[in-house]
This record gives sequence, structure tokens and C-alpha cells, in this order.
Amino acid sequence: MSIATDPKLGLIDGPVHPRLAALNRARGWYGWAGYAAPSMLDSVEFEYFALRNQAALFDISPLHKYRITGPDAARVLNRLVTRDVTRIATGRVGYAVWCDEESMVIDDGTLFHLGPDDWRLCCQEPMLTWLLEAAWGFDADVHDESREMAALALQGPTAFAVLCAAGLDMGHLRPFELAQAQPGLMISRTGFTGDLGYELWTAWGDALPLWDRLWRAGENLGLRAIGYEAVNIARIEAGFMVAGVDFQPAHATERLHRAHTPLELGLGPMVDFTKGHFNGRRALLAAKPRSLLMRLDVEGFKPAQGALIYHARRREAGHVTSGVWSPTAKRNIALAHVQMPIAARRPSDLWAEIYTLEEGKWDRRMARLTPVRSAFFRPPRARATPPGQT
Amino acid sequence: MSSTRTFDAIVIGGGLNGLAAAGVLARAGQSVCLLERAPHLGGMAAPDASGAPRMAHLLYNLSPTVRRDLGLGTRDWPFETVALPTVALSEDGRHVITQGATVRLADGSAHPDAAAFAALFERLTTYAALLRPLAETAPPGGAAPRLSPDRIKEIWRLGRMGLGLRRLGKPEMRRFLQILLSNAYDLILDELPDGPLAGLLAADAVRGAAAGPRAPGTVFGLLYRMGHGGGASLPRGGMAAVINAFAGAAGRAGAVIETGRGAARILTDQDRVTGVITDTGETLHTARVLSSSGARITAEMTGLAHFDIESTRRLRHIRARGTVAKINLTLDALPAIPGLPDELLAARMVIAPSASYVEDAFNPSKYREMSPNPVIEALLPGQTDPAQRGARGHALSLIVSYAPVDLAGGWDDAARDTLLRTTLKTLTRYAPGLPQLVTGAEVIPPDRIEAETGAPGGHWHHAEMSLDQLLTLRPAIGMGRYAMGPSGLYLCGASAHPGGDLMGLAGRNAALAALRGAP
Repeated sequence: MSIATDPKLGLIDGPVHPRLAALNRARGWYGWAGYAAPSMLDSVEFEYFALRNQAALFDISPLHKYRITGPDAARVLNRLVTRDVTRIATGRVGYAVWCDEESMVIDDGTLFHLGPDDWRLCCQEPMLTWLLEAAWGFDADVHDESREMAALALQGPTAFAVLCAAGLDMGHLRPFELAQAQPGLMISRTGFTGDLGYELWTAWGDALPLWDRLWRAGENLGLRAIGYEAVNIARIEAGFMVAGVDFQPAHATERLHRAHTPLELGLGPMVDFTKGHFNGRRALLAAKPRSLLMRLDVEGFKPAQGALIYHARRREAGHVTSGVWSPTAKRNIALAHVQMPIAARRPSDLWAEIYTLEEGKWDRRMARLTPVRSAFFRPPRARATPPGQT
Repeated sequence: MSSTRTFDAIVIGGGLNGLAAAGVLARAGQSVCLLERAPHLGGMAAPDASGAPRMAHLLYNLSPTVRRDLGLGTRDWPFETVALPTVALSEDGRHVITQGATVRLADGSAHPDAAAFAALFERLTTYAALLRPLAETAPPGGAAPRLSPDRIKEIWRLGRMGLGLRRLGKPEMRRFLQILLSNAYDLILDELPDGPLAGLLAADAVRGAAAGPRAPGTVFGLLYRMGHGGGASLPRGGMAAVINAFAGAAGRAGAVIETGRGAARILTDQDRVTGVITDTGETLHTARVLSSSGARITAEMTGLAHFDIESTRRLRHIRARGTVAKINLTLDALPAIPGLPDELLAARMVIAPSASYVEDAFNPSKYREMSPNPVIEALLPGQTDPAQRGARGHALSLIVSYAPVDLAGGWDDAARDTLLRTTLKTLTRYAPGLPQLVTGAEVIPPDRIEAETGAPGGHWHHAEMSLDQLLTLRPAIGMGRYAMGPSGLYLCGASAHPGGDLMGLAGRNAALAALRGAP
């Protein structure tokens, strides 16, 4: 269900476009849900290291944001997602994934429990019609606030210091908690980088002053505006998957069997079979996983993006969906779909066939793969409360 | 109730399908409880207090397979049925009489198109007989393993059907495949000139449907009507005799039948059916519920949260738009129909003077209006069976098309009155003086049918019998083999395959599916 935008319309300006346009020396733009979003403002390396060593500001307003309210809001969401939303307390945020009736993942996103019977769902794919379907027959309202709410992601080790300097002391906020910082500004300790970070939610029209406020506060704290390419490295390090890259959203696939179940994406802990019915539950109980999305350490330093995976160097057994050299972990890392039962039983003899092109010369190398259980990069500072200032 | 009662299965709804389901289950040794909300059994077949027909008045498709499975005899029903001739009324008095494949004029002379009609009738009944095995079993498909007995039986059945198709011979098989999905109007007018005879076939093809004879798929409607030979018959003793036979079979097999008690909620636990709460507040325990209500109502009783989002979307979009009103008149004397011998007043009389008339009658219903010139099927049941004459005078039972359930402005008193007047005006063209004989009239528009029987949209078949709602797609994809939602929940009413029409097969098929399914 990707948005088919009329190319004649071009890309739309986001809420902080004037600032981004001024900073975008590299003039790197890409389309994100129809908005002009920066892929790179000056150089990926600068931006990435700012994100990991200082603080980075990234406009996430193009996310799709839906408000689900009413007495049945939690029932609607519990019907929608695979986890038990009643265990997400008010004032907390939960990662969630939802499936179609064949238990194929439609999308993943974050669920904000804003108040009693008041929730916000943020995701990559447009989801309004699906949410309306889910809410039909229930006492709940679904409202698309994608164009009303803006959001800025402030991420990195000095993110907390930047917030404090901006007069927004969020020292009490634990990971996955949210709080109303002031009227019209909600801050959640969430992010897509696996590091210390916050997301600031405000009305579309208030985004620009908020940006300026943070920008001024971050002047001496190394704050930098960044584009998606830097975020992408960070999210692979954190082991996060992206719709359309690491899995195919079920509603956007046209070919049969291209989507995946949550179990195939390694999201077993996100599935609660005991909470009652949820969409795709019956199919998921009956389904045998065909493959598994794995985190892999790749031998050498050549990024394995797009590489085919072989078992025992001979039998094709999968492919890499995201592969990058991690400058922070100093490892060559990848997310990859590996066929069952190899992924479960014999993951020790996996190889990636990496093609390289260097100055006109193609080369091919087989790189040994080592499965990794946890995230590639998971610093303790991401979870410390109150967080450090540097 | 002091202690909670437990049954192997609970059947919701005491129409013919519900009774058939209860009977088949009980005869298989299951303890069964049937709940009927109304104070009487029969659903849409239920007669009025005097024994005269109230909604349904004739039988076309009562299934011998159901009779066998209910233990009601291998040769015939325990009640007598009288095959009725049909009169296609003509304003000029040249009424057309059909009985089976034969056709003549009311004055006894030969009908000029008798040969063409006989050939067409022959073809249609041959095709219908070919398709009938499809109705007598669950739709093909399902999750049974490839080499299981069920699957092998299914392949055998489909193979036999294919063979039957081949046996038609190449030209006839081609013709069959050509017309199967096509429209009745073209088929009929290819063989017959437009007139009362063509109109009769066109009306029979679409009665009860939200379609005119020019709509694709209406040939199937005609074949459906001819599934058991194509003749209309009147049960002696009225519909009560049919209902009593079904209820008797279920009762003798040990089924508990409770009227005046409906199901309010279907209970589940861990995705399995566990019981039913009645509208009187009693909780009945069971692992299987078979519901002859509409699919959507059944899902709502269970709780939509127990169904996938795709399922609830499909439930919401099942097309069930009733287009037929029932009018029961009481006459203080028999009407005189010029040109029609008195003994033929016992016949099924149809006002559909041409196929185009039927299409024209349908058109206003597209815009939520009733037909100014309706198609009417009229029956004086008392002429065949005095027990169905009504409390006083003569009961005249009328099926009037089209009267859409979603009539613009709603079915208020004025709308019902308009329908009655339109109907009487139409009848007067064939039976002058009839309105003066009317001493009582009851108009039952589709909304009343829905309110009284629970049939979605007041639709005869609980869901339109269109090609996109047949077989595994009936009433919607994913619930086409009776089971839906939580384990142990089944549809057994007309909204399930193969539909309604006082056939009993949906209930019987559903019961067999439930017996095969895990308890």
C-alpha cells in the first residue's frame, strides 16, 4: 500500500523544510511518504559520528501517525497487533507488529499509550483503511493525524544534555516512557538508533520553533542535523528492521508468499498467543516458519548488502537484506533471511557471496557468517536513568 | 434452571435448515439443543395461525438427500405433496399453462412454442441435475489431507460430475458451459418469443434475487429453481406438515427443541466455542454451535474480536438485499379470472407477461423504489388443500417483486399501503373485481421478514445467490465450508452453501461438517 504520488506534484515540504534546505549542502533528498526528506546533508560520515558521539536531529514527521481513541481502543489494538497491548501502561510506548489473516506482517510500528482510551500508532506504511476496518463494530475512533503532528528525533549520547539546555529536563524519563513536557509538546524516550535518544511530538505548525529551540541548545553540544543514510547505519547496528527492506509489508506485495510471519522475522517475543484472538493468530499457529531473519556478523569488511547466502558454501540458503560496515562496533554486520531449517539447526556453516566493484573491477568473495543474538550495538547509556549528560 | 445443561451441539434457529442440522446431528448420536427465538418453528416456512401460508408457500427443492439423512423414508416424504401446474397469466385471457415440460393454452389448445419450451425445459433440468451433487456436499476444497477418505470422495464426486458433463456430448457440453454464467433473458429469448411463457421463466429465474433477468448469473438462478425437477408442489397439511416432519425427525432422534428462546451470545474460550447464553439468561455448555442466522449476526453474537479483520470486512460486504414482499389477502369469494377454467385457480399463477416486463419491474429497485408494475406469484392454497384456506374466506398468498428492503423513505404504513394498492391494481388487470372481494390484507415487506425471521435484509437466501457468493465463496471467502472463526462455530443456514429455498441441505451439510470437525 505504498503511496502512489503523482510525479508532477513533486515532493512536499515537511514542517522544518526551511531549516533542512538551508543545511542541505549536499542537496541529497529522497521521498518519504511524499515529503522531501534529507538522505544526506553534507557527509554520511560526519552525520553518523555526530549521531554516535554527540547528538543528531532528524525530522521524522513523514511517519504515518494514527490516533485511536474510545472505550474499545485497546480492544481494537489487541485485535490488530500480535502483542498484548493491555501490558503497555499509560505513559509508555511499545513496539508492535501486525499481520493479515494469513499471519503475514503488514507493518510494524510504535504504540504510544497517551492516556486512558487514548493511543497513537506510528508506522511506515499508510494504515488508515486497515485501522478503520479493525475498528468497525467497536466503540473506537481512528483519526489520521499524519499531517497534524510533527516529530523530531533527537538521538545520541548528548541528547539528554541538549534537552536540558533547551529547558526540557526529561531526566526522569525511562526508555519507552513518554511525558507531556509542556502544553503541546510530548516527549518520548524512543528512537530508531539503539542509543540514548528522544522523540519530540508537537503540532505541525510548532515544529519550526521547536527545531530552533533545540538547535540553539545544541550549539555547544555537537548537535547536527542528519539524513537517512546515517540513521540507516545506526538502525542496522541496533538490529532494527525496515518495512520494504528487511521484510515486505503484506499489503504492498503483489506476488504470492513474499511477505513473512512475525516468527520468520524473529519477533516471537512480540507474539502473545494467550491474550485472545488477534489478526492472523489461527494462521500463525498453523504456519511453519519458512525462513528466519537473522543478525549476522560478516567476515571481512566488505558490506554484504544484497548478497546471497549459501550453506556449506554450496546450497543457496537465503539473502542479506541490510548489510553495512559498523564503524562503532568495528564489525561487518548484516540482517539476512536464512531458510529453515538451516537457520534453526545449522547456522554455523553459512557464507555470503559478496560481489565488489572497485575501480572497474568486479570481484567475488565468500565471507563466513556468524549468527549474533543481540543487537550489534547496545550501549548501557541508552538505558541509564537519569541519562548522562555527555 | 438449577444446573447448567451441557450438549454436544447447539443449533441456533428452528427453520428447516436448523431442524435439518439438529436432526442429522442427533441421529449421529450427538446430544443436541435447538433454540428458536420465535414461539413457533419453521422460520420463513412457518404458516399463520390458521395453517395458511404466511411467507413461503410452495416447495421446489426439498431435498431427498435430507429426507434420507433425517430418516424420513427413502421413497417419499411422510406428508403428501401435490405437484401444481403453473399459469402464466395473460391480460388477453390467453393464459399459458405449464406442468413440467408440457405447455398448453388455458382454452385447451396447443401452445405454438410447446416444442421449443419442452426442449429448453429438458435442457435446463438436465443441467440442473448435473449440478445438484454440488449442492449435496460441502463446497470443494478444505484442509483435508490429499489422501484422506474425504478428499478421495470429493475427487470421485467431482470426477463423476466431469464425466456427466462429457456424457452430454460435445455440442451440449459447450452449450452448458456457455450459458452457465450467462443471463436468463438472452437464453430464454433465444428459444422463445417474448410473452407470458418467456416472462414466466424470467420471473422464476430472479424471484427473491436483487437482479433482473438481464443480469449475468441469472441462468444459474433458473437452474437452481430446477434443481429437483423444476416443479412447484404444495404440501398437504401446509408448511406445518413439513416443519413437523423435520422437527419430528430431530425430536425422535433425541434433539431438545426449545421455542421462544433465542441465543443472545455465543461463548468462547481460547478460540474454542464453549457455550451459548440464551435471551432468557441461561448458559448452555457446548463445544459446537451451528447457527442458521446470517453470518454477520452470528459473528456479532460471538464477538467481532474473535474474527480476523478481513473476515469482518467480508461479513460486512455480504450482499443480502431482500427484494420480495409477501402479501396475504383474504377474499370472501373466489376471484374470477377471464379465460381461466375454475379448476386452474388451484395452480401457481404468475403475473409476468413478458421477460421485458420482469426486467422493467426490476429497474426501479436499483434506485430503492418499488415496481409500479410488479411481478406477482399468486396462490390460492385452499383450492388444493382445504386445510390451508385460512381462518375465513379464501387465503390468497402473493409473492410480490420488486419491493427492496432499503426502500427510499422506509417501509412505513404509507409505503406498505402503496405496495398493496399497486399489487391490487396489477391483479385487477387479470382478475377484474378482485379488490372488491378483499376482506383482509397483510403486507410483509422485506424489513418485516428480517425482523420476524432474522434473515439478513429479509433476503430469502440470507445472502444473494450470485456467482460471487456461491460454493466456497458463500457467504464469503474463508467461511465457505460452514466453519467460521473460533473452532466449533458453524454456519448452517441459507447463507451457507447451497443456500435456502426450503431445501434443508445447508443445515444437513453443516451438520456433517461439524461432525467431521474436532469437537
